[in-house]
Amino acid sequence: MRLIGLALLALAVGLFAVFGGDPLGAVLFRLDPGLLNLVQAVVQRYLLPMIWDDLLLPVLEAPAWVVPAILGGAMTLFGWMRARG
Amino acid sequence: MHILKSRPWNLPESSATPEALVFGRRQAMALGAGMLAASPAMAQQAGLPPAMRNTRYVPGRAITAEREVTTYNNFYEFGSQKTISAAAQRMPMRPWTVKVEGMVETPREYGIEDLLARMPLEERVYRLRCVEAWAMVVPWTGFPLSALLAEVKPLSSARYVVFQTATIPSVMPGLRQSWYPWPYTEGCTLAEAANELSFMVVGAYGKLLPPQNGGPLRFHQPWKYGFKAGKSLVTIRLTDQRPVSFWEKIQAQEYGFWANVNPAVPHPRWSQAQERMLGTGESVPTLLFNGYGEFVADLYTNLQRERLWA
Repeated sequence: MRLIGLALLALAVGLFAVFGGDPLGAVLFRLDPGLLNLVQAVVQRYLLPMIWDDLLLPVLEAPAWVVPAILGGAMTLFGWMRARG
Repeated sequence: MHILKSRPWNLPESSATPEALVFGRRQAMALGAGMLAASPAMAQQAGLPPAMRNTRYVPGRAITAEREVTTYNNFYEFGSQKTISAAAQRMPMRPWTVKVEGMVETPREYGIEDLLARMPLEERVYRLRCVEAWAMVVPWTGFPLSALLAEVKPLSSARYVVFQTATIPSVMPGLRQSWYPWPYTEGCTLAEAANELSFMVVGAYGKLLPPQNGGPLRFHQPWKYGFKAGKSLVTIRLTDQRPVSFWEKIQAQEYGFWANVNPAVPHPRWSQAQERMLGTGESVPTLLFNGYGEFVADLYTNLQRERLWA
């Protein structure tokens, strides 16, 4: 787990180096312009609009490095604590 | 033997507007005009000026129920779900101005009331075919785009018309998706814009056009898929450069510049051969140019190398 955590932290650093503070949504749009449109349509039309508006959109509006940084930090910490018993 | 052949423009009796509604509407319009003069603040509640139905354009299908048309909407500034009508009510419809600019002799800025007063309003019952394979038939009120173009006088160098939708972040949650290429823009050639079918819509079902349907002013070319129709327009620009529209920037393979209706050319993810009628759910065959070929097919005779159908 600690290894995955460290990999995610490295990814966060890489994303920051390449995209700076660009939102995750903007980065995904640059990589595949149609992807988010499809996901949004599926979520808002067939699941619940609020899942997109209140859950996914805040994540997509955050800088791209934030999600892997938080996940990576948490996993690294959790792995380190577990290794110490 | 006498053979009765059904023509595409034959209307079922059920689609005729009831007499009481027609005459009642005129009374309401007269009252609305008075209110409008008395108080601009009341304009949003006022009715449309009178508009006679133009019987040259017959849909050949029953008019879709108003409730269906006003509660099942595509308006991405408010979300991609169809149920945006309540959210759209927050959009301020007055005051509203539309700029007509670019390659024209006399650029103009119109207040919507000015447009309503000076343009030759008429009602047209048009089919609307969505690229998502559903369809509806709507009695729109509006005026030919050619009438507006005649006022501003396009320069000889103008080739395209670009339509731009309002961006009002305080009421349009969709704009939070900052990665999309807002504002929503669409466009067509000047020849298409000048076609008699190209219609600027200010009303539907005898009422002012509601915001969820693109009020106070939208565009409609019934032979094209619905996404080509810009809603809640604030700018109309004439240019010599072919515009890259909102959807073209996102998914050019699925939503191209021309987007003429053609049942023989499927969308990459579904067939376009049939369409589901809003309200009844009936599945009916889609027609080439949405059935308006006699009016528009000539526009494309020398454009066969273009991707006309998507």
